[in-house]
Amino acid sequence: MTRLRRDPRAERAAMQVDAGGGETRRPRYDRSVRRTPGGRSRRDPRAERAGRRVAGGPRLRFDLCRAVRIEGPMPSEAGHRPAPEADAPTILVLEDPAFLVAVVPDMPGGRLSVHDRQLLGAARALAGRDGGVALLALGPCEGAGPAGADRLVRLDDAEDYDPAARAARIAAALASLGARHVLFPESLEGGDLARRVAVRMGEPLFSDAEVVAASGLIRPARGRSVEQRAAPGLLATVAADAVAEYAGRPREARALAREAASVATRPAAILSARRIPADPATVPLALAEFVVSVGNGISDLDSFRQLVAALRATPGASRVLCDAGVMPRQSQVGASGTVLAATCYVALGISGAPQHLQGVAGCEHVVAVNTDLHAAMIERAGLAIVQDAQAVMPALLRLLAREAAGQGTVS
Amino acid sequence: MRVAVLLSGGRHPVSGAAVVPRLEAQAIRLAAGLGPSIGPSIGLHAGPDASALAEALGQGLGHVEHIDLPATADPVPALAARLAASRPDLVLAGRRGHGGPESGLVPYALAEALDLPLIPDVVAVAFGEEAGTLRLDQSLGRGALRRVVVRLPVMVTIHPDAPPPRPFAYGQARRGRIEAIPLASVAANEAGPALEERPYRRRPKIVKGAPAGGSAAERLKAATGEAGSAAKGRLLVEPDPEDAAREILAYLRRIGVLAPPRPLDFGGR
Repeated sequence: MTRLRRDPRAERAAMQVDAGGGETRRPRYDRSVRRTPGGRSRRDPRAERAGRRVAGGPRLRFDLCRAVRIEGPMPSEAGHRPAPEADAPTILVLEDPAFLVAVVPDMPGGRLSVHDRQLLGAARALAGRDGGVALLALGPCEGAGPAGADRLVRLDDAEDYDPAARAARIAAALASLGARHVLFPESLEGGDLARRVAVRMGEPLFSDAEVVAASGLIRPARGRSVEQRAAPGLLATVAADAVAEYAGRPREARALAREAASVATRPAAILSARRIPADPATVPLALAEFVVSVGNGISDLDSFRQLVAALRATPGASRVLCDAGVMPRQSQVGASGTVLAATCYVALGISGAPQHLQGVAGCEHVVAVNTDLHAAMIERAGLAIVQDAQAVMPALLRLLAREAAGQGTVS
Repeated sequence: MRVAVLLSGGRHPVSGAAVVPRLEAQAIRLAAGLGPSIGPSIGLHAGPDASALAEALGQGLGHVEHIDLPATADPVPALAARLAASRPDLVLAGRRGHGGPESGLVPYALAEALDLPLIPDVVAVAFGEEAGTLRLDQSLGRGALRRVVVRLPVMVTIHPDAPPPRPFAYGQARRGRIEAIPLASVAANEAGPALEERPYRRRPKIVKGAPAGGSAAERLKAATGEAGSAAKGRLLVEPDPEDAAREILAYLRRIGVLAPPRPLDFGGR
């Protein structure tokens, strides 16, 4: 930082007062004239301290983590957390890819899961600079471009469960696409699909790859005593949490035109298929997808139980409540309880001890409701609400009841 | 109804002794759970080593057929020929056989060769209401199930969430018999990709949310939760509880864990 250079003579000339008289009179200066503002202005530590003061509350509290100087008192109204201003990244367009790496994600519920995004990261590593990544989506797909897909092939998904016909459609689409490599996730559904496609196409499958690079794929074998390495072939499945997601500029995900291939399938032996969703009240906490957890900031456990039932979530608790005996021990979240693998975690009245945050480390989305602005859980959360959870819970219940009655509005 | 269970050459992960893999023991239990009407199920193993087959008998199999095959040979043609001759109604297998390349392709290749439907990751088997059908509960992960009714014959692979295997019964292992099946010809394993083997090396865990090729400071930020969702998170200070509730529900719906308020009407009632 460069400050403007002071010019003492000019400053003196600006302060000089013409008091009248001839040249014999000595020069007079008005020292009360403020200097021209140049460079940094003077700090006012008292005003800064007052600006850091957190409004409300009986105790005097200061928000010392604010680095910027505040002129007035801190706004107590709702507002966004100051985010670093990033200009929108330009979309990377690959006009003529030298080859294609196809990816067939699971997309549970029409969204790319974490494993799917890791798969796209692996495909990006295989494609390198010249190759393109094509995503074969069954049904609509959002967010393919930011996850690293250059092309998007959309296939129509059948309503009923017929994995053989699905594999036949994927195999036909892959044959018409002419990809050099095809990657599947090594998940329940993706692994099944990959093996059906491999058998149908008569191609070898490199399963459960833990390292994906253009120079070779590596998988563990014989109870992880050895690892096997091979040059990337046509078909491979990629293990979960083995490859990092794509983190570069968003790609284009241009929709590719596709001729509808009619696939002859034999009459299905599957007479009926019905999905039985997991009962959130009884599913083990480690397997639960959506956990609502209660901490020491809440004493009204009845409305908490109603809320958990209304949200169709699995109940969790912090160590304090489990020690006190108001929640069962198997619902404890944290280092000495259960480490979660949930998609979403809602913490009501939990400040977020480090041991508790360890249990939440794997959760993708966290919502925190807490009275303490400086709680670690507020820092961790994707949606942080500084409010009494005892007041928010009945409001949530009322809103859900209104929506269930059909008067709700989609916000 | 005839039931066949495919057995692979499992090795104990610590001692290296020949064992029946847990999933196949669970498959034997599922077959036994169908009741006494189906008779004892048959085990089928193609491989050089028969030492673990007596243990499979003790888990509840009536008799085991053993096709003596070199370790490098492809077991699929031999198994397919044997299954085509015995025509079982239900073939059970683990998700991934041990001892070979362990790619999990054998059940799929057999289903293709025998023209059977294959239902993967099954945790429960029961007879259907109609004769000649089977009701299978398939695991979808995280406790969710899919109940599938199929017409026999069918091939099924087992998920680890299936009920645990029955305890080993010594008398049953003594009573059962192991039958050696003569082999017409040995098909060599197809030349797959050339595999280079090395001792296994643990890879560093990837840190979720850390960008690929990022600096150590970025990885530390991601590990401590300062990056990712927290960095671009939304903070509401002292909002009205009603506003807070609306924000929470909107957030839960945006990330897809909560169903939209009014489910779409698909025409039917």
